[in-house]
Amino acid sequence: MHLGRHPQSTEIRRRGFLLIAFLLLAVTPVMAAPAGANSERFAQSVQPFLQKNCVMCHNAKLKTAEIDFSQFKTDSDAEQGTETWEKAVEKLRTNAMPPAGLPRPPQADMDVVLKWMDTAIARADERAKSEPGRVTAHRLNRAEYNNTVRDLVGVDIRPADEFPQDDSGYGFDNIGDVLSISPVLMERYLTAADKVVHASLYGPEKLKPVVVRHQPPSPKFPLVDKPLMNYDLTGLNLPNALHTTHWFSVEGDYTFRIALEGRRPNGSEPVQIGLWLDGKLVRTLDIDAPSDGHSIDLFGMQREVKLHVTQGDHWIAASILRLYEGLPPSYGGPNPSKRLEPPPPDPKKLAKIPANATPEQTATAIAAAQEKIKKSFVPANRVYVHFVEVIGPYNEKLGPSAESRKLIFICGHQEKHDADCPRVILTHFARRAFRRPVTAPEVKPYVELYAQARQQGSTFDDAIGMALQAILVSPDFLFRLETQEPTLKARSNGLHNVSYAGTDSGIQPISEYALASRLSYFLWSTMPDAELMHCAERHVLRKPGVLEAQVERMLKDPRSKALADNFAGQWLELRKLEYDRPDHDKFPQFDEYLRMSMRQETELFFEDIVHNNRSILDFLNSKQTFLNQKLAEFYGIPGVEGTEFRPVSLNGTNRSGVLTQASVLTVSSYATRTSPVLRGKWVLENMLNSLIPPPPPNVPRLDEETVGLGASIRTQMEEHRKNPMCASCHQKMDPIGFAFENYNAIGQWREKDGKWPVDASGKLPDGRTFVGALQLEQIYAGAPTQFAECVTVKLLTYALGRGLERYDRPAVKAIAQQIAADKYRFDDLVLAIVNSLPFEMRNGANVAQGVNHTT
Amino acid sequence: MNVLTGKRLDRRSLLKGVGAALALPMLDAMVPAGATAAAAEAAPLRMAFAYVPNGVTIADWTPAGSGSSFEFPRILKPLEPFRNQVSVLTGLAHYNAEALGDGGGDHARAGACFLTGVHPKKTAGADIHAGISVDQIAAKTLGTQSRLPSLELGCEDSRTVGNCDSGYSCAYTNSISWASPTTPLPPETNPRLAFERLFGTEDFSADPATRARRALLRRSILDVVNERTQQLMGGLGANDKRKMDEYLTGVREVERRIQMVESDHKSFTPPIEKPSGIPETYTEYVKLMIDLQVLAYQADITRVSTLVLGREGSVRTYGEIGVPDPHHPLSHHRNIPELMDKISKINTFHVSLFAYFLDKLQNTKDSDGSPLLDHMMIVYGSAICDGNSHSHKDLPVLVSGGGNGQLSGGRHITYQSGTPMTNLYLSLLDRAGAQVSCVGDSTGRLPYLSA
Repeated sequence: MHLGRHPQSTEIRRRGFLLIAFLLLAVTPVMAAPAGANSERFAQSVQPFLQKNCVMCHNAKLKTAEIDFSQFKTDSDAEQGTETWEKAVEKLRTNAMPPAGLPRPPQADMDVVLKWMDTAIARADERAKSEPGRVTAHRLNRAEYNNTVRDLVGVDIRPADEFPQDDSGYGFDNIGDVLSISPVLMERYLTAADKVVHASLYGPEKLKPVVVRHQPPSPKFPLVDKPLMNYDLTGLNLPNALHTTHWFSVEGDYTFRIALEGRRPNGSEPVQIGLWLDGKLVRTLDIDAPSDGHSIDLFGMQREVKLHVTQGDHWIAASILRLYEGLPPSYGGPNPSKRLEPPPPDPKKLAKIPANATPEQTATAIAAAQEKIKKSFVPANRVYVHFVEVIGPYNEKLGPSAESRKLIFICGHQEKHDADCPRVILTHFARRAFRRPVTAPEVKPYVELYAQARQQGSTFDDAIGMALQAILVSPDFLFRLETQEPTLKARSNGLHNVSYAGTDSGIQPISEYALASRLSYFLWSTMPDAELMHCAERHVLRKPGVLEAQVERMLKDPRSKALADNFAGQWLELRKLEYDRPDHDKFPQFDEYLRMSMRQETELFFEDIVHNNRSILDFLNSKQTFLNQKLAEFYGIPGVEGTEFRPVSLNGTNRSGVLTQASVLTVSSYATRTSPVLRGKWVLENMLNSLIPPPPPNVPRLDEETVGLGASIRTQMEEHRKNPMCASCHQKMDPIGFAFENYNAIGQWREKDGKWPVDASGKLPDGRTFVGALQLEQIYAGAPTQFAECVTVKLLTYALGRGLERYDRPAVKAIAQQIAADKYRFDDLVLAIVNSLPFEMRNGANVAQGVNHTT
Repeated sequence: MNVLTGKRLDRRSLLKGVGAALALPMLDAMVPAGATAAAAEAAPLRMAFAYVPNGVTIADWTPAGSGSSFEFPRILKPLEPFRNQVSVLTGLAHYNAEALGDGGGDHARAGACFLTGVHPKKTAGADIHAGISVDQIAAKTLGTQSRLPSLELGCEDSRTVGNCDSGYSCAYTNSISWASPTTPLPPETNPRLAFERLFGTEDFSADPATRARRALLRRSILDVVNERTQQLMGGLGANDKRKMDEYLTGVREVERRIQMVESDHKSFTPPIEKPSGIPETYTEYVKLMIDLQVLAYQADITRVSTLVLGREGSVRTYGEIGVPDPHHPLSHHRNIPELMDKISKINTFHVSLFAYFLDKLQNTKDSDGSPLLDHMMIVYGSAICDGNSHSHKDLPVLVSGGGNGQLSGGRHITYQSGTPMTNLYLSLLDRAGAQVSCVGDSTGRLPYLSA
């Protein structure tokens, strides 16, 4: 039996395992043994131990889990086996091996073997030179392309939304090695360059108005006969409302068409619809319908309204205002209808009793009529918003923005240009587009392109536009090609002198322009701004205090929202929330508004840590979060009213930190149920950086049909772990997952899993026990090194745009140690990364000649 | 052709396919003056099915008189110019759209039954079950020669999950085409996506001069960046070089494509611009979908297609013809004359759009130079007779097109009331060369379709 879809990562895990044991080592200080001390013991103790306990599965023939211990015969063989020892140490130390069911070797033997392996790994680490590595030329990904273009020419038209999806590796979609260019993408680049240049010189293309319908699956909610007296008058938080996000590509007028579904009793007043933009009520509309005899049928009844909307993503909501008002007085609701209420149907009349009916026949007929009346009764809340259509644009803002043209035509765009104008314009533009100084020979081909176009009769603007297009599809723009400083400049402050002195002379600081780009793509996902470029130009970016001040400035800047979108969005897997479709029958309360609110909570939480320099341990156990009414009600936290998110204390609640946020709990669940496996894996991979290997082949899957029928999911999982093949990994994942069993598949608190009471207790492989998520979080927060190193690994991977290697370990360790000094503050983490060897330097070996701008 | 990715292969073969079709020359714009070379080729037979929801005001639909001496009544008036290409069929029924003990849900049953003749299983869940539809049976014969075996288009939102009518899945009201009893083929309702399905994602421009200019421009641009990349290569590490190689491959591929466009003057350009989305008015919307449909026939991308003018149970409002009320509630007109009048207005409007379709087909030359309409077999109708009563008898049905000489128009043919609609389908399938013995609940063939 196996539990459903196996949690298999789609990412590249080529070298990911290198880091698994490394972090375990980090919490297990190793005494460095003198060289040679190990040499005797392998043959004496380790090899016999392996022979006796391991080789029956891990041999050349079976190679279980890709491991073959029989290949290590001599000491020099053993020296080559560092990666194998890393895996073995982890398995032995967590009691994952030998698998349950096989005899356990005596602890004394284990200790000897573990000590030997620890030493072997430590020696390998000593041998491994600390070095910065080299980031592969890094193509801008979709987010980076959109942002860069926005900042380069001042038009936000998101051309990259039409590009193929970026591949991701190591958990992120900004990995240089993985990002590739296909001919399709090349073609899109040409089209995008055309659009961007056109929009910046002449304004956005004139668009034909189009209709976009937003229509979620029909909401499911309990119908009530009696109106409520105390309820959400705005209707926004009721299931009768419709919420959606719409991208308005251009500022202009748009028609909003709102249609209803459902009925109201005869004699009701018109339904009042509230149309909300970004949480603000912008229009109130009445919708009415004639009675069809039985009731007022509102299905398809609609109203339109035209509004002016600015460019960008906007949250649109249509709600039923004061849902329980305006009903006939007989419903007993607040502010009843002033319309004439038709008399209640008379069962006697409805029954049409013939004159000669017997009393029994009369009674039967009346009973039938009463039944019919009862069936046609219209519940007090049986109306909801069916769809919203957005139609437009009309009267859209056309023409170029003055800002765009100013960014391009820097020599003052008058009637006449002097002969040098094109060169000045293109040099200036290329410098910004390439994010570094450009030489005259470099700009020449673009100037020639301009001249060619002029010769063929193009206008000045058109000809400049053509050259701009070429710049926008050149590799210098599309790739971050890093230059390095011409000479090695040893710096002695901060972290970046981590033992690179005396290493290969190929190690060089990257140029300050490259550093400026690394900073801006790391913290903003866009090109460096004028100030960063200015620092690089004056060669002061590495001056003491300057880098720190720049990082601080950048983190405070609104553009650092990119960290939430792109780093947190992928680290915490929030992006998945957009595509998750929790089962509509099981979780009818999961609607668009809840989805938006969930994501927003975690983003605001993350941004708060960034902007207010809070400790990264807050991810684990902060007792404060950000809620709006929708999410607060969902969490059962009273006193939060309205659409605005605000800081809310979680004291006294069953939530704390990011792990108990609904977003995370939802993305780590299946559509129909929780999965302790998925949640355990989520925590291990994202909080502890411990990768779980894919399952062995031919493992039987859990029959989804039987889940929750015969026993709780927990009991079924425990059954599962009796299989020793499964136990080694599942004993790591499952207990962590159990801690979260009090939260259902969309993160709502529950006491029971179906019929069975939830048991959220667990025991980690190392013996520590807990009851519930909050205690588990305290365990992690109490010994934060592993978590701190995990966040460091994630953020460093993202910052560099490459997967980490063995030689990055000293840097990771040092960063995590350094930030421990002041409560693991986020700014300190970013600064430590920015000052680290891999971020500051690169290995220039094998490079004949960099893309040196001084040539 | 250097094929690099699976995606590329699709598009390449697509363009090649289209190009080959055009070599016949099928597009007017491409036909050199006096070209007759292809005229000898017999034009293939095509089929189309169009659906209108919520029934019609049947009194305003059924012509007085029968045979060839009849008057087009109010709703059918827009068809007057095509009198000789249209027959009105009266008396056909969809027995399997009746409740048959399943209670409410006539709209869902009508939608699912229209082309299948099968009684759909009442469910709002995943266990939907209807039957294979006539267009899909036809596609098995007619669709083997074209790139797309069939094309399903619609002019109303396409929802396939959830409950859309009294416990029936939205799949039933949504899809009239069914590849199998469990596989509905939801219509493509976004003109932009329909366009991409037909012609790929290439960015076309209607104006050849603009295209040529753009090609030239792109070539110059690519020359510059190509040279720049070559320059760069020398100074890069191995991994960076690999990335630049990818980039250069992309550049060369695009260059090759531009070259192809320049050297091959017959290369294909759809004569309409790529739509940006659903147009603001229903008239424009339907006409755009019809344009795409006709184009697909003309370029021989498909030979079978369906068009849903409105999903069954539609609540569309028709402000543009002075009917701001949602269609479905209106169709329960309780014999109130004003409401029936409004329904007739909607029905007439739909028929006028159908006339646009016929007009387009009449004025589009097929590969043999004759009107495309001569090679069509078209069924237009609804599986509900009158929206007020939800009756599935005496359905409003039109048949049009020459059917390669196998269909005659200009008549009002009255069959015995209750004759299975599927008998019509069986008769058409015979003409299409599909050798099937029954469709849904068919009991035989319909007489009188050919004069």
